[in-house]
Amino acid sequence: MKIVGRHDEAPGVKTMRLEFQNPADHEEFRQKYRTGMFGLYGVYGEGESTFCVASPETRTDYIECTFRQSGRVTSALANADIGDLITFRGPYGNRFPIETFHGKNLLFISGGIALPPTRSVIWSCLDQREKFGKVTIIYGARTVADLVYKHELDEWQERADVDLVLTVDPGGESPDWKNKVGFVPTVLEEAAPSPENCIAVICGPPIMIKFTLISLKKLGFDETNVYTTLENRMKCGVGKCGRCNVGSIYVCKEGPVFTAAEVSRMPAADL
Amino acid sequence: MITQEKYRSKAKKLLAEGSVKMVIGYSPGSTPDRRRPVFIRSFDEADQLVLDSNCIANLSGYLVSEGLLSDEKHVAIFLRPDGIRSINILAAESQLNVDQIIIFGFDTNGNEVRALTGEHAGEFSEFIGSIKEHPPEKSRDPLLYQIEQMNPQERFAFWKDEFSRCIKCYACRQACPMCYCRRCIVDSNQPQWINTSSHTLGNFEWNVVRAFHLAGRCVGCGNCDRACPVNIPLRLINSRMAEEVLDSFDHFAGLNPAQEPVLASFKKDDSETFIL
Amino acid sequence: MTRCLFSNKLENCVTLWRSAGYSVIGPVRKDATSSYAAVEHAADFDLGMVLPDRSIKELFFPQTEPMLHYTIKQQAINTEEFTPPAGKRIIFGVRPCDASGLSIDDPLFGWDYKDEYWFQRRNESVIVTIACTKADDFCLCTSLKLAPDSTNGSDILLRPLENNNGWQVEELTERGREAFSAIAELLQEASEPTAPLAVVPEMFNLDTCVAWLQNPENFESKFWKDISMRCIGCGSCTYLCPTCHCFDIQDEGDTYSGIRRKNWDSCSFALFTMHTSGHNPRSTQSARWRQRIMHKFNYFPGKFSVNSCSGCGRCTRQCPVDMGITETLQKISTLHP
Repeated sequence: MKIVGRHDEAPGVKTMRLEFQNPADHEEFRQKYRTGMFGLYGVYGEGESTFCVASPETRTDYIECTFRQSGRVTSALANADIGDLITFRGPYGNRFPIETFHGKNLLFISGGIALPPTRSVIWSCLDQREKFGKVTIIYGARTVADLVYKHELDEWQERADVDLVLTVDPGGESPDWKNKVGFVPTVLEEAAPSPENCIAVICGPPIMIKFTLISLKKLGFDETNVYTTLENRMKCGVGKCGRCNVGSIYVCKEGPVFTAAEVSRMPAADL
Repeated sequence: MITQEKYRSKAKKLLAEGSVKMVIGYSPGSTPDRRRPVFIRSFDEADQLVLDSNCIANLSGYLVSEGLLSDEKHVAIFLRPDGIRSINILAAESQLNVDQIIIFGFDTNGNEVRALTGEHAGEFSEFIGSIKEHPPEKSRDPLLYQIEQMNPQERFAFWKDEFSRCIKCYACRQACPMCYCRRCIVDSNQPQWINTSSHTLGNFEWNVVRAFHLAGRCVGCGNCDRACPVNIPLRLINSRMAEEVLDSFDHFAGLNPAQEPVLASFKKDDSETFIL
Repeated sequence: MTRCLFSNKLENCVTLWRSAGYSVIGPVRKDATSSYAAVEHAADFDLGMVLPDRSIKELFFPQTEPMLHYTIKQQAINTEEFTPPAGKRIIFGVRPCDASGLSIDDPLFGWDYKDEYWFQRRNESVIVTIACTKADDFCLCTSLKLAPDSTNGSDILLRPLENNNGWQVEELTERGREAFSAIAELLQEASEPTAPLAVVPEMFNLDTCVAWLQNPENFESKFWKDISMRCIGCGSCTYLCPTCHCFDIQDEGDTYSGIRRKNWDSCSFALFTMHTSGHNPRSTQSARWRQRIMHKFNYFPGKFSVNSCSGCGRCTRQCPVDMGITETLQKISTLHP
């Protein structure tokens, strides 16, 4: 796939827009891709790395991915320039069943570099805004600089049909920060969205997910109405290599999207 | 049997009075001639300890398991002379504090087991020095003589054949008390110094790099050799390197806890046969 | 009267099979270790060993295998996929546990994406298994509800004759029949009795163990820490296991050309599950050993209806610290479910 766009989101975090080189591959992607699925992005000579497709299922002319430069593959990806070719395998995994969210209020909760998978669902829903009720987005990062998709956050903030709550961890605020300061679960409890007819989608680091699930429970959310994605280490993406296993689940095939009810049946210590 | 009883009662006493939190020793294994490492934490478990000529493994690697010694409490451990040398090196490399270690020293000769005199690492220095001066007879592997007779091509072919079996399980590394790095060089991928694949190049890279890392540090305990599931004679490489270091620098690894690591220290009279 | 293959005809068999286009593989002892390897003559077989040190797995799922070759030139990436070398082969003298191991992994390599590396080799291999007349202290097939004459995964089962001069032939599959039709002239009808099978004592009650493993409360049991304290986290049990199938994918090369490879990997290694962020779902050796046991006897059977263990005992046999599945399950079977 060819890199056609490249954007620095936050220190070490980049978004790339990729276009298919082969029309048949593109058509297959259009047919298969639904929000929540992931892919393996690769640079020959370095390897492949797994992350979600950050663009929504309503926009399939391209693929967008957002990643933090941290390992061998992501460093190579980060060094790739517009016009360079990289590889994509996928889309793999299951999806957020957004057609079952029709007519419901949506609550998106996300932390740090985990906004990309949430963003894919958010846009998939906002692109057919009329089908959903109230949309609330709670997004937090360690510091103001670590917030990703800043221009889209501005856009959501301005939209009358979206409630956006932004927060940074204590100490991460900048002098001109006008939004909240506090950890995501705390901010969520303050915002206290109603569980009535509401679907929650949460993505974040394991520790955030753990405490956010507790907060949602406190607010009265039913575990079956809470969705999350598990971002495990993967290599093959097709249920063979074994490393994404959590209990009997192959996250790459049966996930990455799970309801909180499904997650609660997994061995907690292995998450 | 006498030695076993002696150390069992010593273990019970130390555990009962709380002067050690754990005794690392041997217990019966899954067959009559197998012994397995055991961690005894209370005096009533101490009867599981056995000591006989089947107790071969060098247990010193367990001392550097994460967190074991961080509470500054004492631990007792069964060690043969090679094991005592290992903890001397670990101490010299700042991996553990020997004052926390109570040594249950023993040595074997055929089926005979005898206790070594001493309790703390420093007390064995003289004894280890005597091993350096008078290495036990027949300790040199006959295969080494054979390999030395080979020309470089034959030697290369010999090791290529041996390494061709390597499956890169890294059991040699995991079994080695000297391989305590939290992140081994083979696990680093920026850059990827060593191929992870077990083809000829990858296998040579791994085994040669390991040999160099052990030069002047290996005590010849044989843990790697016994752990290797495909029976590559790893002992040959490391014992030959030890001879080389002894000849070049008069360094016998693990003489005492204060001995400077030979390849990490510089002496004016170090022999330099290849620079200048 | 049963059809028999007599040992003195084995050399002729090897010749006939080879001239019929099969490569012939069997248990071979070379240097200090034994494995299933190609032979030219029947005399190269070592049919006396309990079982080879290395499992049959590597003939189907090699420790390292190229997947594709890439070249990059002026904004064009060319890739060429490697497929396993084609060719019919007969693997003679396989142990029932090794053969069962293959059939255990079939569903895993076959669900969803069908692993062509595995299945091409499976389809081209004839597994000629010899029932066991001897076992050692580590064999545990009976504890896994298998037996010294299990037929799972085999195309032919040979039952050793009492006089140790040949085998009764049981054809199990079409592939096996075809391979044996090539040597039909060498088979003889005979009424010699078969040798008694190896006695493999049952080491634990599998159902009791599985019940304990399935109880979610036991996931956090202190048992896991105690049993795995001496585990040094080497991967030998997983690498020698005929059913362990985890792998890694690695690129070797530069920005111009190179090879993408599939290499064995192991759940015993800390890096196996480590996230880029540093978070590791299985950060302790006890969590990794628990995963291995759970995977084999709880998760895998839950998914594929078969235990991921064929009772070969290699894990214990080769363990540098004398651990293994037997000890763990023996202890579990004494615990309260």
